[in-house]
Amino acid sequence: MSYLVHNCFKETVESFIACTGMKQPSDYLEDMEKRKRIYQFALEGNALKAIELTEQLATNLLEKNKDLHFDLLSLHFVELVCSRKCTEALEFAQMQLTPFGKEQKYVEKLEDFMALLAYEEPEKSPMFHLLSLEYRQHVAESLNRAIL
Amino acid sequence: MGGVEDDEPASKRMKLSSEELIHLSNGSTVKESIVGSSRDLMARPLQSDGGEEVVGSKGVIKKVEFVRIIAKSLYSLGYRRSGAHLEEESGISLHSSIINVFMRQVLEGDWDESIATLHNIGLTDEMTIKSASFLILEQKFFEFLDEEKVMDALKTLRTEISPLCINHSRVRELSLSIVSPSHCFTARSPKQDTSRARSRTKLLEELQKLLPPTVMIPERRLEHLVEQALGLQRDACMFHNSLDEEISLFADHQCARDQIPSYALQVDANGISLKHKLSGHQKPVSSVSWSPDDHQLLTCGVEEVVRRWDASSGDCLSVYEKAGLGMVSCGWSPDGKWIFSGVNDKSISMWELDGRELECWKGQRTLKISDLEITSDGKQIISICRETAILLLDREAKVERFIEEDQTITSFSLSRDNRFLLVNLLNQEIHLWSIEDDLKLVSKYRGHKRTRFIIRSCFGGLEQAFVASGSEDSLVYIWHRGTGELIEALPGHSGAVNCVSWNPTNPHMLASASDDRTIRIWGLNNLSTKQKDTHGNGIHYSNGGT
Repeated sequence: MSYLVHNCFKETVESFIACTGMKQPSDYLEDMEKRKRIYQFALEGNALKAIELTEQLATNLLEKNKDLHFDLLSLHFVELVCSRKCTEALEFAQMQLTPFGKEQKYVEKLEDFMALLAYEEPEKSPMFHLLSLEYRQHVAESLNRAIL
Repeated sequence: MGGVEDDEPASKRMKLSSEELIHLSNGSTVKESIVGSSRDLMARPLQSDGGEEVVGSKGVIKKVEFVRIIAKSLYSLGYRRSGAHLEEESGISLHSSIINVFMRQVLEGDWDESIATLHNIGLTDEMTIKSASFLILEQKFFEFLDEEKVMDALKTLRTEISPLCINHSRVRELSLSIVSPSHCFTARSPKQDTSRARSRTKLLEELQKLLPPTVMIPERRLEHLVEQALGLQRDACMFHNSLDEEISLFADHQCARDQIPSYALQVDANGISLKHKLSGHQKPVSSVSWSPDDHQLLTCGVEEVVRRWDASSGDCLSVYEKAGLGMVSCGWSPDGKWIFSGVNDKSISMWELDGRELECWKGQRTLKISDLEITSDGKQIISICRETAILLLDREAKVERFIEEDQTITSFSLSRDNRFLLVNLLNQEIHLWSIEDDLKLVSKYRGHKRTRFIIRSCFGGLEQAFVASGSEDSLVYIWHRGTGELIEALPGHSGAVNCVSWNPTNPHMLASASDDRTIRIWGLNNLSTKQKDTHGNGIHYSNGGT
């Protein structure tokens, strides 16, 4: 049951409840719907939207979970890089990502992402895995889990 | 390097040029050269066809190279005019014209042109060209960042640096430094104009290291050659035993014999006055060892126990024993916190000072261990494990190495830097082994007499450049470690000299112990030396006999 809820299989959950008669908190369906949308946005790479909705659903979640926050912001950065909007990407990085650089553990991650800017074809750079679907999935999963 | 000193025609030419140079550096104008041959040189094209002309009595120094490194050192010393005059007068230029162009472009910041020139120099190694380009473009990148032209810097990174496809980790660092300039500390980040010039000069130096030496002569090459020669002279000097011997360039270095201790300063017939008698052992005492802090003594009874004594009070502090077994030798750890001993069941035991056993190493084929030593970093334990073999045990890596000899080994001694082992053999030879990486026999020393007893030898002198040994013919033998030559055979004792110990802090003092029941302290003639404690750390002396 929690597997179904976790993965936002809404219809399945409904029929499951109908069959088994299990009790659930009242707004779980709503939550599930919201989480599903957030997950989708993150997967597409629309990190800003995902962040906005997350803030609505669970304020302070991202503040408490800095790793996640960084990962989400980096998704947006990656989007900008992929659309070759270098100036914007650079500015975004300077404003949003570099503040994290004060802590040592983010420095290496920051390096990884900044390095994407160094290549005209980031897909061919050593960091191409950051542009991949797997990475976005990974971030979206973490977000989903954190909300729960 | 006999060039300047010999009286041969070739060097005479060189001598005159240097004299001329001296005149020139005083500000006078270049005069018509006196020696006719110089005129010939002036007429030659700038790039001499090197290799044909040589200088020096052995004919191995190419003239073009010689002049170029002299010019280079003139420039390094700051004598720009002299350097330029030398180039002009000899017709040999320090750098080819394209290199001069390249250097100028780098110093003036014409980055793109300098890279183009780089490709025209004629380098064959693709990697060198790329690495050099990388360095130049890095400088371009940082200078943009410094002028806050961030987009230009980014463009350089993306379109020029990354496509080189080398040094990706550095590319990462560079990209990070766009957003956080403090992250990427580099000595070449220029701030003002003056330091910009300095950082460009540094860039040039690093490029120089990358490019082949024939293209751009390395900095301080002449100084390096001279230092090399001086080093060789010092190594060859058999009597070199003093720190304050200055080496001059004007004559080959050679110390006189007077730096080797050869004069009996003191002869103690009754030994140094008896302070304590340490009783407690039931069996003859086979070895004695001072603690690293000189406050305690460790003694070992033959096949008995090991005892630890306080040297000032004479009290026995601990007894180390193993049930049913007997100890045969003992020693201290370099930090004085634990001790180790050889046991007659062919093992080596290590103990805390309070008596708790720490470790026990069991060997495959060990004999009675009579000599046991540990390196000063505490990492290796060395002992005689068979008649003809010495075991080197690495405690951490648990690796065993063996020095194998053809003859029976009687004793050994470890050098202070842990790199060499002196091995005494039955056949009256002393072998020097290098034990650092590969075990290698380095030298042999002969001359002393050893037929019946164990005679001990040791390292000594400045930088342990000498080997000393006792001998059954009552002489003290001293050899130069590097060359193996016997320097001294000191008379004085009237019985077999069992053991010698060179003062670890005073290279001019040596002590010897003999069957004539005396201890002699040897020093320099006519020099008053302080009577120092000669039983320093780790000297083992046996009870006469085997």
